[in-house]
Amino acid sequence: MRRSTGLVAAIVVLGIVVAVGLISESQHILTLTIQTMILAALASSWNILGGFAGQISLGHAAFFGIGALVTRELWLGGTALALAIAAAVAITAVAAAIVGVPILRFREIYFAIGTLALGVAVFITAGNLWPGISSLPAEALRNYEFTGPYFVALGVLVAAVVVSLWLKHSKVGLGMMTVRDDEEAAKATGVNAFAHKMIAFVVSASLAALAGSAFAYFSASYFPNFAFSVIWTFEAILVVFIGGLGTIVGPLLGSVFFIVGRDVLPANIGEFQVVLFGLLFMVVVLLLPGGLTEAATRLVTTTGRPSTKTTSDEPTATKGKEPT
Amino acid sequence: MRHRVLLVVLTVLAMVLAACGSEGDGADTTQPDETPTTATAGETTTTSDEATATTGEPTEVPESVKIGAVVPLTGAFAGGGAQIERGYIYAVDAINEAGGVFVEEFDTELPLELDVRDDASDPNQTTSIMDELAGGDIVAYLGGFATPVHAAGSATAERNGIPYLGAATSTQALHEQGYEYFFSPFPKSPDMAVTVFEMLNGLIPEGERPLRVGIFQEATDWGEELGPLWVQEAENHGYEVVYHETYAPGTTDYTDLILGAQAAEVEALLSLPTPPDGFAIYQQMGELGWKPPFNLVVRAADVPTWNDLGQAGEGVVLSTPWHPALGYPGTEAVNERHLEELERPADPVVGSAYALIEILADAIERAGTLEHDAVRDAIAATDGLSTIIGPITFREDGTAAVPNPQMQRIGGAIELIWPADAATTDLTYPAP
Amino acid sequence: MTQLILQSVVSGVLVGGMYGLVALGLALAFGVLKVLDVAHGELLMLGGYASFFAFTFWGLDPFVSMPLVFVAMFGFGVVLYLVLFRYVTRTEVHTRIKNSLLISFGLVLVLQALAVRFFTADERTISTAYSLEALTIGPVRVPVVRLAGFVVAVVAALALEWLLFRTSFGRALRATSEDWTRAALTGVDVRRIYLIAFALSAALAAIAGSLVSLGYSISPSVGLGWTLKALIVVVLAGLGSMRGIIVAGIFLGLVESLASVWLGGQYREVVALMLFLVILSFRPHGFYGRAHA
Repeated sequence: MRRSTGLVAAIVVLGIVVAVGLISESQHILTLTIQTMILAALASSWNILGGFAGQISLGHAAFFGIGALVTRELWLGGTALALAIAAAVAITAVAAAIVGVPILRFREIYFAIGTLALGVAVFITAGNLWPGISSLPAEALRNYEFTGPYFVALGVLVAAVVVSLWLKHSKVGLGMMTVRDDEEAAKATGVNAFAHKMIAFVVSASLAALAGSAFAYFSASYFPNFAFSVIWTFEAILVVFIGGLGTIVGPLLGSVFFIVGRDVLPANIGEFQVVLFGLLFMVVVLLLPGGLTEAATRLVTTTGRPSTKTTSDEPTATKGKEPT
Repeated sequence: MRHRVLLVVLTVLAMVLAACGSEGDGADTTQPDETPTTATAGETTTTSDEATATTGEPTEVPESVKIGAVVPLTGAFAGGGAQIERGYIYAVDAINEAGGVFVEEFDTELPLELDVRDDASDPNQTTSIMDELAGGDIVAYLGGFATPVHAAGSATAERNGIPYLGAATSTQALHEQGYEYFFSPFPKSPDMAVTVFEMLNGLIPEGERPLRVGIFQEATDWGEELGPLWVQEAENHGYEVVYHETYAPGTTDYTDLILGAQAAEVEALLSLPTPPDGFAIYQQMGELGWKPPFNLVVRAADVPTWNDLGQAGEGVVLSTPWHPALGYPGTEAVNERHLEELERPADPVVGSAYALIEILADAIERAGTLEHDAVRDAIAATDGLSTIIGPITFREDGTAAVPNPQMQRIGGAIELIWPADAATTDLTYPAP
Repeated sequence: MTQLILQSVVSGVLVGGMYGLVALGLALAFGVLKVLDVAHGELLMLGGYASFFAFTFWGLDPFVSMPLVFVAMFGFGVVLYLVLFRYVTRTEVHTRIKNSLLISFGLVLVLQALAVRFFTADERTISTAYSLEALTIGPVRVPVVRLAGFVVAVVAALALEWLLFRTSFGRALRATSEDWTRAALTGVDVRRIYLIAFALSAALAAIAGSLVSLGYSISPSVGLGWTLKALIVVVLAGLGSMRGIIVAGIFLGLVESLASVWLGGQYREVVALMLFLVILSFRPHGFYGRAHA
């Protein structure tokens, strides 16, 4: 897709989303859209670490959770929302930097399992320290307005997309992708692999915290450890892959598809909707590594030439601009 | 290559079509293998564009009174969720068979229509499903099973301004939030804490009581609430807490807890485990060869589960919200149907769920309308209504005085042992 | 206090044997196929249900039905390989891990949902006449069921060792794990090796499942917890290493058990996880692992 088409499309979509937020009276639609935006933001954040830098983290929910926790505690305690969110992101970034030093030395599968272990440990700890439910006070519930949370979620998503876009076309981002494709080769050409991974890690964590903040602001009530649950990590990964790993639009497409599929499929199907998602996920991973984005692009292109990617599922970095 | 793309697209299309296909009609969405709720006129409603009347102006008469139930039918709480769903279905069927609910505003009797949704024991899904239901003209929400989903649900109901009736949640804390739309006629921690000791004092003569109390406190909000209450009531009733430890739900090895309690010579062990922890605790106690003379497990696990446990679970006392032997009106029919369908007498939570429908139906009739706030007010005003769990009068905080029968597993059966006047058998003490 | 510590040590070792058993299958799949199957726990779950139903409907003691479960799930593993993992192994090793991770994640969703649909979400357990029996050795109780589980784990590990180092099939297997292209050049039927190794790993998961449904309880969602334990054990022992699995499993079990004694039950898992991470930082390839993964 050419750059300008993409831009026009993005503006149109943004316009629609904004309009919905201002006009819609349907709680259902507003809720679903907010949830989609939060998931998309989280997925985009994961995509930076997993798609651009190639580090598969299975503990991403930890950052989402910290962001949510700090925002919720501060905000319900009386702090201004903006300040609470800023604090949440800052704290998470610092935590990520500290944790990143040891954990980024792990490679590949060790990194995956290590982050998983970390994520689970944080989840258990959060549940132990904050077992009680966090609910908005009754007055706030009765006077609840969706507009605030809606636009905060939108803002968060826009931030995530903008950061992703900037990274993708920046030298830093290029460095990340080089590391992703072959860490040893990257190091040999003078790229500081560790620094690039760290940047990806911290940026990704910060955006995840931002998404968590949006979640905290939106939710009427939930258990604090829920935001740390491995479910969020899995959903983000699922969404990124279905949408298209390493692309900008992938996480967005994937989230829409996921939420629509999950919450709009009738209850009758019940467990089978999970089965369908699982199957679809497997189909995508096996047959269409580029996800829906690739499918869409292929359908749009009339040539339908076979892909040059045979086995690798990651987009190979090219010098210069990548099509989104 | 195109084939692959096509495959993905087809899968996507299939899902989309499935979604569109069933979203159009508002047919009742009870699980396919459950007996569908019967509407007296035999029809299922289609779309309902009429808004529920808020101004009293005559609008189109709805075809039924819609109730939205969000129940964990899958996931960790599915066992209890199944009981809840059953209670709702039985009650709705019973009321519909008797003609339905009379709504003065439309001057006619209307059948109740249950829309049961599965939230997979996930409070996040509970919330979004409830929001979805809010757009569909339901009169009220019915809750699921276990505190987490109720905590999420009650806040959502409050936000949406729709009355919410919930069974199977025992935290008092939920009722101290100032919610106006949340009603739960179900045993709560304060009452539960008292009942244990009253029962012990009532059933066991003075010299033989298990005065040394041990508590396995689950690290959840309910655990944090009930644990200290037990400690307090123990003291009030002349017992001594000699062992009190916390554990995280999901623990697989209880060795240290069990040995610690044994070392402290605990005679009465109190716990409130989420499934499958209760299971694991008693199984491991069996393995380690120690069981105190009195064992109380709150949060009755499902009957099949306790049956599987065999000897290890023998003599365990389960604190439950209801038992058929209490004999309140409506019990016989429920028991009969339950025996027919499941080959065992009605499970504890079935009664609690059943009562919620009774309360709701009564409130609608008194309100004379389906409008949310009017129904809410009518529910709050429920006074001495006779239900399957006894007479119900709501307190300001949404709770009500309800029975808190204690049951005991003896010889493979679950017997009612408290309250004494309804007991089917005596307490077996010490536990075998 | 000494009794508590001794008992905790015993419990820890016994449960550690179980962790090792569960990890054996995972290690086999990873070592040979270079495939990471996070649905391993779901295979365990299916094995557990198989035992449970054999017990409930046919009255078969789980140890009696174990060989049957083994064979049945071996078959299931064959199917799973042919239908799914075969395609994953077509890619180069580097992407194989990532792909299999993802594919098996989808499989987790599918298997769990199907299990709920067909088995219901109720917790099930097998209670036999000897379920609560325990040997008393001094101040310590050794539950018979857990001891038997430990024995099964050790036997399985030894059997696997024998298979790997004393049979020609085992030699072919090891050659394939070292370098499958070279193995193929020397005439090894790599696909057959992969198939059998994978099916074997599924069968191992299944008998672990039988033990779980006997010693603990089974429900559709038990899988992930055990998978995580298995993953940790496999990584601790060193990816690609079979020998240290039971040892690593015991280590994990002990750490959890002792952590519980000193820090309270709430943090036992956290301590184990943290320790795991610390060890990994100092010995990135585990206790016995080799430098290439």
